[in-house]
Amino acid sequence: MVGLPYDCLTNPLGAVRLTFEKAVASGSDPATFDGKDWGATDLFSQFLFDDGGLSKVPFLNPSTMTWVQPNTLVRFRGMIQDMLGNEFYVGAYKEGETWRTNKFADLSQFPMATGSSPDMRVWERRLLYCVPVPGQNSWIEPSSGALLNPCAISSSPQREKRQRDNDLAMDDVDMQVTDEEVHDSTSNKKMREDGIASGSSNSGSTPTEGVGSATSVLPNFDTTSFPCLVKIYDSPDSDLKLNDVFEFIGVFTFDPEFPVDKNDNKDLESSFCDDTLVQMPPSKVPRLHCLVHRKLTAQDFISGPLTFELKSQLVKGIREALVGHLTTVLGNDGVAANFMLLHLLSKVHARADSIAVGKLSLNLTCFTKETLSIFGHRLNFALKNLLPFTHYVPLTVDYLNKVSLAPRKDYQTNRLVSGILQLAEGSHLTIDETQLQAGTLNSTGVDNARVLKSLLELQKVEYDFTYYKMDIPADTQLLVLSEGKSNILPADLVLPFRPLSLDAAQDVETEVLRSWRWYLATMRSLSHSIEQEMQKVVEDDLVAARQADRSLSSQDFSRLLTMGRLISLSFGETSLTLEHWQMAKELERLRKERLQGSS
Amino acid sequence: MASDSSPVNTHGGPSTPDDSTSSPIGNTYSSPGDNTRRKRGRRSSATSTPVAPSNRRFTTPDATPTPSSTNSRRGRRRASSTTPSGAAAATPSYASDVPPSSEGGEGDDADEAPPMYVWGTNISVQDVNAAILRFLRNFREDPSQTEGKYMRAIHHVIEMEGDSLDVDAHDVFDYDNDLYTKMVRFPLEVLAIFDIVLMDMVSRINPLFEKHIQARIFNLKSSTSMRNLNPADIEKMVSLKGMVIRCSAIIPEIREAIFRCLVCGYYSDPIVVDRGRINEPTICGKQECLARNSMTLVHNRCRFADKQIVRVQETPDEIPEGGTPHTVSLLMHDKLVDAGKPGDRVEVTGIYRAMSVRIGSTQRTVKSLFKTYIDCLHLKKTDKSRMNAEDPMEIENGVVGNDDSLGYEEKVEKLKELSKQPDIYERLTRSLAPNIWELDDVKKGLLCQLFGGNALTLPSGASFRGDINILLVGDPGTSKSQLLQYIHKLSPRGIYTSGRGSSAVGLTAYVAKDPETGETVLESGALVLSDRGICCIDEFDKMSDSARSMLHEVMEQQTVSIAKAGIIASLNARTSVLACANPIGSRYNPRLSVIDNIHLPPTLLSRFDLIYLILDKADEQMDRRLAKHIVALHFENPENSEQEVIDLPTLTAYLSYARKHIHPQLSDEAAEELTRGYVEMRRRGNFPGSSKKVITATPRQLESLIRLSEGLARIRFSERVEKRDVMEAIRLLEVALQQSATDHSTGTIDMDLITTGVSASERMRRENFVSTTRNIIMEKLQLGGPSTRMLELLEELKKQSSGGEVHLADLRNALATLATEGLVSVHGDAVKRI
Repeated sequence: MVGLPYDCLTNPLGAVRLTFEKAVASGSDPATFDGKDWGATDLFSQFLFDDGGLSKVPFLNPSTMTWVQPNTLVRFRGMIQDMLGNEFYVGAYKEGETWRTNKFADLSQFPMATGSSPDMRVWERRLLYCVPVPGQNSWIEPSSGALLNPCAISSSPQREKRQRDNDLAMDDVDMQVTDEEVHDSTSNKKMREDGIASGSSNSGSTPTEGVGSATSVLPNFDTTSFPCLVKIYDSPDSDLKLNDVFEFIGVFTFDPEFPVDKNDNKDLESSFCDDTLVQMPPSKVPRLHCLVHRKLTAQDFISGPLTFELKSQLVKGIREALVGHLTTVLGNDGVAANFMLLHLLSKVHARADSIAVGKLSLNLTCFTKETLSIFGHRLNFALKNLLPFTHYVPLTVDYLNKVSLAPRKDYQTNRLVSGILQLAEGSHLTIDETQLQAGTLNSTGVDNARVLKSLLELQKVEYDFTYYKMDIPADTQLLVLSEGKSNILPADLVLPFRPLSLDAAQDVETEVLRSWRWYLATMRSLSHSIEQEMQKVVEDDLVAARQADRSLSSQDFSRLLTMGRLISLSFGETSLTLEHWQMAKELERLRKERLQGSS
Repeated sequence: MASDSSPVNTHGGPSTPDDSTSSPIGNTYSSPGDNTRRKRGRRSSATSTPVAPSNRRFTTPDATPTPSSTNSRRGRRRASSTTPSGAAAATPSYASDVPPSSEGGEGDDADEAPPMYVWGTNISVQDVNAAILRFLRNFREDPSQTEGKYMRAIHHVIEMEGDSLDVDAHDVFDYDNDLYTKMVRFPLEVLAIFDIVLMDMVSRINPLFEKHIQARIFNLKSSTSMRNLNPADIEKMVSLKGMVIRCSAIIPEIREAIFRCLVCGYYSDPIVVDRGRINEPTICGKQECLARNSMTLVHNRCRFADKQIVRVQETPDEIPEGGTPHTVSLLMHDKLVDAGKPGDRVEVTGIYRAMSVRIGSTQRTVKSLFKTYIDCLHLKKTDKSRMNAEDPMEIENGVVGNDDSLGYEEKVEKLKELSKQPDIYERLTRSLAPNIWELDDVKKGLLCQLFGGNALTLPSGASFRGDINILLVGDPGTSKSQLLQYIHKLSPRGIYTSGRGSSAVGLTAYVAKDPETGETVLESGALVLSDRGICCIDEFDKMSDSARSMLHEVMEQQTVSIAKAGIIASLNARTSVLACANPIGSRYNPRLSVIDNIHLPPTLLSRFDLIYLILDKADEQMDRRLAKHIVALHFENPENSEQEVIDLPTLTAYLSYARKHIHPQLSDEAAEELTRGYVEMRRRGNFPGSSKKVITATPRQLESLIRLSEGLARIRFSERVEKRDVMEAIRLLEVALQQSATDHSTGTIDMDLITTGVSASERMRRENFVSTTRNIIMEKLQLGGPSTRMLELLEELKKQSSGGEVHLADLRNALATLATEGLVSVHGDAVKRI
């Protein structure tokens, strides 16, 4: 490789080691490295972002698990589902006279002194339990073919074959991994020698013998949920928050042949700590020692190069096409399509006290069994194609009584048990209320209804910590489908749905879909402001409206303003114009008309 | 290995087994030469070095370090009276389970030379020993005391045959700063010396006292947050707060084992835990027998110690946004076992420790990870929540609550500072439900309710309540319910109920049959449950009459009396009631009188100290401000536009402190003002022909005034009720019922004069406006002269007022006010001075 003494991709630990040694050689005291970086992260940042190495880094997912090698660089996209606290490890120690580091690794690369010595530094790292973003739609899956996989150039049929026939594949893998072996051989040998010398090493299960692991991964592995234990180094608490979606790039470790600990004191030890090792043995949950992490936005999920520019003409075009599409999906109900567009663009952009500003939940009423069966499905399909993360919850009494929507803490395992409402920022949730029949809610049901209501009203989910509850802010777009106005789920917008035709929507080209996805993701993230004069106009309008109708509350005003904002955003504008404000008022008028007409 | 190279003699020779009355301390400081007295037979390695005293208490020689072995505490100590105490402790691998402190390397200078140092540190054992002795002997809280605080405590412990002495770290700090620092930094070593000193003292006071007393340190100067524990804290004394979430079962840990030979029945000597294990003798100890593999453990003659592992989690207020709570394990021994139950909020003092874990069975990987836990020294249950934070029972019984929580003094100082602010009343008002727009006077009333007046019990038995009851009557959509919810969240203890769903028994108390025993039991209702708190009742008007009538007793006598199913009881319900209702016919009807609008029985009405009429009046100014507020909310960064408000925790703390510590008394001046105000109110009520249409002042109102003024004084942290408090109380009372706007002859309200919900600044602005208008009228218009058109006046006003906009609506309001004053008469558009 390009003159580098190490390969960041296949031997990241080598790179870490080298930078460490360089830093020590340049006279820095390893003791000062605690909580700091000595240049390793910089090196990787440069490699990934400046030298374009990012695209070469394979994604970690169930399909790539089959061939990704331990101790190589991988990236994992996921939501932080739980935080497992800090872990103390020996960060730096002396082997003879040389300093070694354990950073970014599970196991020490070099033997450590068996006794303690003053030359051992204890550092800490954070453990995050990450899962793939809930409700992730299939179009997001990064196409593994686009990746440069140094090991598996083989096409997919061969890979499948390999799974079936492990023994044969072994050789195959072995050969491909020689590259890494060469790099690592010196240290490997050294370790083995040492292991034998100390006489305590069980040579059969030397953890660094990762080569064979790749093939035996699958039997152990739960492919439906694909959690990953991410270890974060030197990052302030506030950077990573619960339910944030991140891309972690780091050293992958996975030990499918993890030996069961046959320690005599096992019961004691496990009763002591909820041991992540016990619950999440490395053979079940892969580990990722994070070198670089970055927060992902919806735009990051649109694969492929983005050719779109933020030109008003183009945006207008896309907007028209999208509204047209939504209109078809909604049976030629143009008003509903317009509201749907606003709803899809909404996001909580500020919080003042308990008010979440910017949310716009939509309640489409007047659904019947027949219309739902047609449009419900169609709508769901369309949303799935447009948004990165969607959920569909059919609300029934039975469902409410049985599931637990909000996450809760299980103190037996000391883990946060995820609920359906533990969602990433910007997820879309459709609640189908049409199937709700009269019935009795038990306490779980009442709780669930309350949780849903608080999500709708405050965009907050109450996490149950048994002894107390904690409100976690959420940003979820909520769409409620119901027969009449939903009483248990008070949405911001209530709109009777009036389909005119039953024509099925045509298929949409992928490229067009992509432009829509880009449009929704980008417009949503635009910032927005209001000019002084416009502000005056708006104020006057509101005052006049209230003088005319005393029943208008601040919620009504909020909704109107949100709509105005979203309409301008939908045109790609960043400040409210009179035209868009008029449109908002017009839309609201149409909606009011319908409401009166339907009642 | 590591510790071999740095031999230190802190206690050279252990006591002999038969030296039972004098604890091992006797020998602790004997010279190293004492080693000859050792029973070498037991030890395989005579070369083992004497070990720091710390080992006796906390560490054990454990090749495979486990929590079980790291804290031996009492069991080990007991054992030490019969066996050489240093025996098991002397191990080369001492440090193997302990990550070295950074001072690790300094151990070498300790050597054999007489000032003995604790291994790895520069702490001189003698110095510390002397310092502790001095502290225990001489520390006095108050110089006049003849005997030191801890000497008394020690005597007490001896009398009670206790086994621990609680030592307040603040005392240590006050007496000897240096000792405190050492104790916190090297707790293992210093505490071991502490124990030795204690045992020494005890044996001197009472040589027959066999138990070993341990020092339990609590109340450190600074407490750490669980989140901030880091590797630097390992082996340090830390103090943290949290909530117990899980307790393990009690683990009996063997301390001494006795074996019996199955062949001859010979009982072995007690065998002490060594490196976390008991070595089972393979050969019978009896010379005649010597049977192989015949020894069996005799459980009931072994000695066990209790051990428990408790998990503690961060309390919700310490969790930053977007984080999950951290947890930490505690290791509890002996007395501390079961000291906390899941759900308890505790303050823990202990030593932060780490032990290495194996990741695999391979030796090589053993030490790259550590599990951390806290070796618990002291556990204190703190108030469960703000509910108990101010249990007034404590004051009544003269028991001062444990206010010694960390930083308490500071907090109080801060609160006092806050209370000295001249605008504290306004600031608190602003901070109360800041997201609810306007309604300043209502909020002020609610503040008074939160702070409350003084309850009084006369020697004759008559009692006067201190709780203030408030009724909010208002048009729909005036955020009454939000206010209620907010108060419910803020109040120290409170129940929120909706009138519609509440039955009489649900509010008071009901008798139920216990499903298991079949006995009749009394279940408390909402009012009883909110004793000493605020009971919020929404939709008061929709409550059934029978349920409402239950409130009569509660609201004045503050008890709930029950007589049913063989139970006759009177329960305390010292609760403030905050109720809200809609006017009859949902919307306020300006053509009806206030009483007719509220439509609640006068008996009940008179029990409310404040009745607020929150009327939604079409007011362009207010609408405009609302619109501005919402626009700003949507288009600007709301953080910037936020007013300066006191955050909720501070508000709660302020409230609790005031309720607990401030008991204002009426000053003479205030009393005078009260009398005057009351007479005035009475007079107004006696307006001819109005008795049925307005709420007449009764002695109840006088009491209300007293309570309100007391509450107002409390807000200022003032022990005296001053004249201005009384004046404000009277104003509140008047504003609440819109009395200033009421036409007393008809009992109706002049809608243009409503002042509730108008903020102070707005009121000021209007008053100014009225006076400007008055001036203009005085100038321009002749008494009884020709009338002027309103627009002309407006022009004139616009000229005079610099900058500010003048609206016709404002002028109309001002003229209406002036008309009631009798200055002008307004007919349509014409204004005439009369």
